[in-house]
Amino acid sequence: MKRMLTTRFIVQAALIASIYTVLTLVFAPLSFDLIQVRVSEGLTVLPYFTPAAIPGLFAGCIISNFIAGNGLIDVIFGSLATLVAAFFSRKMPKRWLVPLPPVIINAIVVGLILNYILKVPFLAAFGFVALGQSIACYGLGYVLMLVLEKIKTRIF
Amino acid sequence: MLNDITIGQYIPGDSPVHRADPRVKIILTLVFMVSIFFIESYPGFFMYLLFTCVIIVTSDLPFRYTLKGLKPIMFIVIFTALINILTTQGTYVFEWGFIHISREGIDAAVKLSLRLVLLVMGASLLTLTTTPISLTDGIEKLMAPLKIIKVPVHEIAMMMSIALRFIPTLLDETDKIIKAQSSRGADFDTGNIIEKAKSFIPVLIPLFISAFRRADELAVAMEARCYRGGVGRTRMKQLKLGKVDFAVSAVMILFTTLVLLLG
Repeated sequence: MKRMLTTRFIVQAALIASIYTVLTLVFAPLSFDLIQVRVSEGLTVLPYFTPAAIPGLFAGCIISNFIAGNGLIDVIFGSLATLVAAFFSRKMPKRWLVPLPPVIINAIVVGLILNYILKVPFLAAFGFVALGQSIACYGLGYVLMLVLEKIKTRIF
Repeated sequence: MLNDITIGQYIPGDSPVHRADPRVKIILTLVFMVSIFFIESYPGFFMYLLFTCVIIVTSDLPFRYTLKGLKPIMFIVIFTALINILTTQGTYVFEWGFIHISREGIDAAVKLSLRLVLLVMGASLLTLTTTPISLTDGIEKLMAPLKIIKVPVHEIAMMMSIALRFIPTLLDETDKIIKAQSSRGADFDTGNIIEKAKSFIPVLIPLFISAFRRADELAVAMEARCYRGGVGRTRMKQLKLGKVDFAVSAVMILFTTLVLLLG
């Protein structure tokens, strides 16, 4: 753990968190509705390139959820879901599987939150979240991954 | 297009609420939010709304700002209120075709909406009266006991501060990139939802390259100034508990017990 937390690691994670927050803010119209397509969730493919993305996405999600003002439950559990998903994305053996954890884990966790707070039926909430996440993670994230693959030696 | 985004939402001021220690404010906000889930009666909700208004007045915040925080959740509040009204069974007060509105449904919807509004107002009161930097300071101090189980608390706090510091910079950068790509003919508004998602790629790639270049430069600058983690590092602003903090906590504890006793 000690060796991993170099200055460069911390700074890279911080900048990933900033990018996540900025994308959430800039593309807000797509972000906060019933079928959420959070453009920033496309960044969940980043753990494939660098482990700094795991804490980075976590922090980005905390900050964005705070600013979005959806309440503390969202800040805590929504962000933890992103953290767990990012961890599994890093561990995925195949490239096309990388965007899968954020789709499934977020759909379960956010589905449960919506079910608990808003009393929406769980399956409906699960479906809405999974749909939005698939668009962000595969529609945007996977394409992003293919492009970044070509230039990764120059960036990371 | 990016001018109307307020970041961190902090409004400077010199009220007791502003001056209170961020650690105290974070804990009290948590207490406030948890206790909201224990209120069941309308007098309880009324007291909480009144109390929130009193805090807004004492912290010299314009009401307009606190209400602005409610805008993003309005849709969700209305939608779930409707679902609750239409699906809850009980003594019906209104029936027309397949629409049944029960007294219990209205009751559940009103309470749910009040709860959501109070939750969001509680969170925004914290961010409206505390600078992002002192918030991360407070979180670092509160999480310090976790160091025992090897959680890198200082590193997390440092990461959060850097992230917050760079959000305005990257917002500016994104704005420039969007304008530059639009002038080259990039189109962000047409096509189906997947095509729209893909159209963000020409914005994301330049943003990544520039952000990671900044990260590199910052890491070099920090190391050149001998940054090597939290051990032995001193701070310019020390957090200290003062009279204000005890007063604020006393008021909050008294009030919460009172309301919880009322139910």
